[in-house]
Amino acid sequence: MIRFDNVTKSYKNLRPALDDISLEIQKGEFVFLVGSSGSGKTTFLKLLLREEVPDSGTVWVAGRDIGELSQWRVPYLRRNLGCIFQDFRLLPNKTVTENVAFALEVIGRPRTVVRTQVAQVLDLVGLGEKGDRIPEELSGGEQQRVAVARAFVNRPLVLLADEPTGNLDPATTQGIMKLLDRINRTGTTVVMATHDVGIVDTMRRRVVQLDQGRLVRDQARGVYGFGEDMTVSSRGVPAISVAGAADAGYDAAGDPLTGRVATVRARRGTR
Amino acid sequence: MAVSFEYVAKETATNLWRNRMMALAAILTVAVSLSLVGTALLLRQAVNRQIGQWSNNVSLQIFMDAGATSTQVTSVRSTIAQTPQITRCSYLDHAQSYAQAKQVLAGSPTAIAALTPATTPTVFKCQLKSPGDAATVATTFNSGVPGVYQATSPSQSIRVMQQVTNVLQLILLVIAIVLLVSSLVLILNAIRMAIFARRREVGVMKLVGATNWFIRVPFMLEGLVQGVLGALAAVVIVLLSNIGVSYLIRHYKVSVLGSAVLPVHDLVVTELVVVLIGVVVGVAGSSVAVRRFLDV
Repeated sequence: MIRFDNVTKSYKNLRPALDDISLEIQKGEFVFLVGSSGSGKTTFLKLLLREEVPDSGTVWVAGRDIGELSQWRVPYLRRNLGCIFQDFRLLPNKTVTENVAFALEVIGRPRTVVRTQVAQVLDLVGLGEKGDRIPEELSGGEQQRVAVARAFVNRPLVLLADEPTGNLDPATTQGIMKLLDRINRTGTTVVMATHDVGIVDTMRRRVVQLDQGRLVRDQARGVYGFGEDMTVSSRGVPAISVAGAADAGYDAAGDPLTGRVATVRARRGTR
Repeated sequence: MAVSFEYVAKETATNLWRNRMMALAAILTVAVSLSLVGTALLLRQAVNRQIGQWSNNVSLQIFMDAGATSTQVTSVRSTIAQTPQITRCSYLDHAQSYAQAKQVLAGSPTAIAALTPATTPTVFKCQLKSPGDAATVATTFNSGVPGVYQATSPSQSIRVMQQVTNVLQLILLVIAIVLLVSSLVLILNAIRMAIFARRREVGVMKLVGATNWFIRVPFMLEGLVQGVLGALAAVVIVLLSNIGVSYLIRHYKVSVLGSAVLPVHDLVVTELVVVLIGVVVGVAGSSVAVRRFLDV
């Protein structure tokens, strides 16, 4: 579904934001992209959206080299990629329904299709009753659900999430993660950049870690920490299974907050 | 497609309304500048018609008596042939001459009513080798040649008038161009503000894969609407001023200026040019704005 072949991207006067990244993400995978600020997570997502073009290397999405796309075809690429962000990016003067419908209207879907699909997706995210509210009247979690609905309403192949829980409290975060998990189960590939240790440790999905633009870890069922002293796998093959520590995290999975504490303790234990 | 047409119309209307002061400024500037363009064009046509009618590209007109006999006409024709300063002559018979008189006197219907083809003098229209000879040649024909009513040459004053109107026209056009440029900048700025006001929507549209043209069209259309509205206002202004001038000419029976009253055809062409310039200015202004400030 997604493949990076030796991708390097630099901005002006800085070390590369992404340095020779190669990795492959299969259809239907759920991948966490972790790493500190400035590690290249956002650049990674921007390259997928073709908001940026790599300096060298190739980015493949759904079997296409997206560097080869002519400018006018980029919008059609983006119709296959749903996007959500930390700051939701909803339109404040439109209702929930209008916000979601907007995504279909502007790509020219007929009105009947818009109506049925919007109703469906709002039910899916659990906001069927709140279609007439405006974003301001909703909680942060609900706003992010609207954003998820907007990203998913066109049934994209891939859902990209850039710190989607960065503005949310742990309980709400869990709700959003359940929703993303559900979307992932429909066969949609999910790539989520995050700082949230708790989520990553709880979900036990593939973890790709970037550090200063380099790929430093790629683990099939990873947790947030442990990046530094692990070897890098290629092409999504799990490098190391983190038996003891990971189990400690997994036990506390019911509550992300205590889960985080448990993992930290577990990490100390192994050291 | 119906959806997107409705969408585009709605978006354009919303933008214009949200930005109404800016839009109004742009529209008014377009209106003023295009009024000047229209006025300059009409002035040029009116003056050219009038002068053309007066001189008719002919350096000398020899009017015969209305009742001149054909022998007299023949003898004048041979005199003309023997005059070395005259290069070429054409003769208008009663019917042709009457038709010309009707044009010349278009502004004064009463004068036309008084004429019939039979009472209209026939005329020789002659071209001279050098316009400077006009006065001398005219004098020869005015000194009692039988059947000749009067020989006239366009006076110096026509040339002066032509020069004055040329200068006037130039001034009008320069002002008009300066104003057109400023209206283009105003439209550009109005569109830029509209883009800024809608940057969230534009961001979302790009994200969900709206095509570049889909994003651009409402803004382009907004510029077009401003240009066209300004042009329509200018059309009305030009029309009113034309009606006003025609009325003055007719009311005061300034029959010498009869030809300055323009026929409908000329007026329509001028108004179309004005609208076309409005369209061009609107589209140009918004295109530049969209290209520079809407990075899609």
